Amino acid sequence: MSQNNTPLPERLKRRPVAEALARLDRMMDLDKGRMSRDIFWDRDIYEQELEKIFARCWLFVGHESQIPKSGDFVSTYMGEDNVIIVRQKDGAIRGFLNTCPHRGNKVTFADLGNARQFVCNYHGWAFGIDGALKGMHASEAYEATGMDKNEHSLHPVAKIDSYKGLIFATLDPNAPSLAEYLGDFRYYLDAIFDMDEGGTEFIGGCVKSVIQCNWKYASENFVGDILHAGWTHDSGAHAMVGGSVAEVHKFPDQSYQVNFNGHGWEFNQDIVGNCATLGEKDLLKYLYVLQPKVAERLGEVRSKMIGAISSCTLFPNTSFLPGQNTFRTWHPRGPGQIELHTWTFVNKSAPQEIKDKWRKGTMMTFSPSGVFEMDDGENWEYSTKTNAGFVTRQQDLYLGLGQNTRITDTDLPCNVFRGQINEANQRAFYQRWMDLMKASDWDDVPQRDIPTLPTTSAKEAA
Amino acid sequence: MTEQPIYLFKKGELPAGQVRKQVVGTCALAVYNVDGNFYATQDGCTHATASLAEGEIVDGDLIACPVHDGTFHIPSGQPMGWPCEVALRTYKVTTQGDDVLVDLSQEADEAAGGI
Repeated sequence: MSQNNTPLPERLKRRPVAEALARLDRMMDLDKGRMSRDIFWDRDIYEQELEKIFARCWLFVGHESQIPKSGDFVSTYMGEDNVIIVRQKDGAIRGFLNTCPHRGNKVTFADLGNARQFVCNYHGWAFGIDGALKGMHASEAYEATGMDKNEHSLHPVAKIDSYKGLIFATLDPNAPSLAEYLGDFRYYLDAIFDMDEGGTEFIGGCVKSVIQCNWKYASENFVGDILHAGWTHDSGAHAMVGGSVAEVHKFPDQSYQVNFNGHGWEFNQDIVGNCATLGEKDLLKYLYVLQPKVAERLGEVRSKMIGAISSCTLFPNTSFLPGQNTFRTWHPRGPGQIELHTWTFVNKSAPQEIKDKWRKGTMMTFSPSGVFEMDDGENWEYSTKTNAGFVTRQQDLYLGLGQNTRITDTDLPCNVFRGQINEANQRAFYQRWMDLMKASDWDDVPQRDIPTLPTTSAKEAA
Repeated sequence: MTEQPIYLFKKGELPAGQVRKQVVGTCALAVYNVDGNFYATQDGCTHATASLAEGEIVDGDLIACPVHDGTFHIPSGQPMGWPCEVALRTYKVTTQGDDVLVDLSQEADEAAGGI
């Protein structure tokens, strides 16, 4: 699957990386849980995020189940760069910028489909699914005046690879491998995306919405903030299941935050806690029956994560909820807006009625009209908008919950913290953010987390 | 004035649903097998530079151009889908036993009435 599309064609000359903003150092003191609000509001910081986070990191671009056949494609975003991810005739997956190299228009307006070619609406330039320019309207005129079609292909992403059905790409040819980027976090990803023979699939299409918030408020929420659920989502929980959210802060044992390279997962070991909020008893039964089989496959700890109270963010902007089975990417749209794309994921081998119930469950809870999504959106919007105040935005914020909760005497991989009611993962997320924002290139990014799982390639590690 | 039909290939060499390019003298042909019936048209698209033999047979008896996805009706050469506006030249294909033959001096029977 791994496809290295380098060297880049001469046409796209990347500008020298912008110098890190001088005031970055003063923006955070994570050991004290202090951070500036500027990172949620400042336009200059946002522009550098597009360069140093989104044009550098491995970003989720699709699920293999969305594009099973040759010519199947999805279009999505890497930061604000619109890209096409397309299955090739030989089964490989490739990615291209969705822009015509002639006058710049998009070459497809579809989110998903099957194509024999991508034809630009403007002047009829036509590209194969391999990105090659095949021809154009009024081709005779080009032929009469001289032009080499080989010089005008769609621009490929720098690298594309997948892990357990999840396809990722990076626009930086110097990025580490996907296996290195995910590192030991793959251990936990397997609990969801490899809990069952055959893996997972996306069902029911993509649900999109716009939220007027900074992208990091969404990412940091899923990376480690179960704290908000008992308060923010109380009414939603009453609507769905007739009771309050579990008081997880009272049970810090068998309840963790783990993080690696800025990716983070908060979870307990209650097997079905997240799933229970969907109010579908058949789903709980499905998970309880599956759990012992997962224990054989992946061991006891991971088998108890399959639907537990938990949430996860893959740095920088992709998140999911075990048990509630929503998978999402928070695409940045300036410092004050995101375009949210969500899907429902299920085990491929699950019975159809179970898949249908999960799809209904995600619609009831984590869609634009879902009881929990609405709660979250309102919070994140005003956490962002208050910073319009000139004085307000100069007040620091606090992110200090869970100091001294690090556990070292554990067999669990990654950085492990006791108690999922914690802000350790959020601090690790912002440490990674800061490391990337300061770095001139990948070689300059401090390696704080050393992987113990093999990193030769995602496929080999699988 | 009818010329002698020219041998193209054996029937079994081009499976149903497929198209291939064949140059006969100075004439580049796209030869098609539509459900066991053989047809031939000019290979070059009438809209822009493209070899129709690199396209796909779609919707039964249409050829979709590999460049802009415009379509022609294979038996008659008539343009069916934008941006194709001008009909393809067709050539009469016959079979003798296992041999597939083309007559460069005659249009396909299906095209004769339409032009």
